[in-house]
Amino acid sequence: MNIRNASLRDLAIFISNYLADNQIETILTGGACVSIYTRNKYLSLDLDFVLVSDTRHEQLKVLLKDIGFHQGGRHFRHRETRFLIEFLPPPASVGEEPIRRAAEIKKGTKTLKLLSPTDCVKDRLAAFYHWDDRQSLEQALMVARHNHVDEKDIERWSKAEGKQPQFRFFLKRLKMGIVA
Amino acid sequence: MLEAIFESPVKEKVLLFLYANGESYPREIAREYSFYINAVQYQLLKLEAAGVLYSMLRGKVRLFGLNPRYPFKKELEGLLEKALQFYPESEKAKHYMKRRRPRRTGKPL
Repeated sequence: MNIRNASLRDLAIFISNYLADNQIETILTGGACVSIYTRNKYLSLDLDFVLVSDTRHEQLKVLLKDIGFHQGGRHFRHRETRFLIEFLPPPASVGEEPIRRAAEIKKGTKTLKLLSPTDCVKDRLAAFYHWDDRQSLEQALMVARHNHVDEKDIERWSKAEGKQPQFRFFLKRLKMGIVA
Repeated sequence: MLEAIFESPVKEKVLLFLYANGESYPREIAREYSFYINAVQYQLLKLEAAGVLYSMLRGKVRLFGLNPRYPFKKELEGLLEKALQFYPESEKAKHYMKRRRPRRTGKPL
């Protein structure tokens, strides 16, 4: 793997498969999914992987060191790439709900598990709902406009989070077709 | 009260304080209970890494709070609320009813 020239998507596929080969299952989440679903219209430098089951941090540290990633704080860095890798503890969830089915992207024989476009929108909306983060709202809109998402499911989830008025605001922006 | 579950009196107090008072910073929590600030910081960072807490910089201060995106937040809050009910009124008033509403600049406290 040529780390220096790897795109976010290729690096995510590489890391995820390398860990899977070592019996560590992950799901890519956060801004990296926005990058993938918007074809880098929004470019994240963070690859946040949720661990599917409990994994010893020491084990991750050793495995990543073998491919040139070193720990700096909570992140892992490689001297040939700007991308940072972070691992989040299980469970994989959006708000109060577990992620029941991850999406998959295939490249040759390799597979990357990541949030589905619908879950990615929920993930971004959670930041907008709870912290009033406008950047996250814009990212949710970008993903929703570039991909097929299940609006009914997002509405149901928003209701469960107690954020119906904010969902209506999101939907209004989505229908207006204006994305910053 | 919840020490047996949390395995640390500092962790228990950190969670109770943040639940009852909202966002806070390590020094405020340490002062409140006369804990060493390092002990408080250690627990805050551990809870943040586990997704239980969030943190954000406001000016030069890093504020911590219960993460609204933590999947077990409601259940954790239920436990903390129940624990608070068992505290004596004097302790509740001392630690868990901090003034959080605004107070105009210059008005005496």
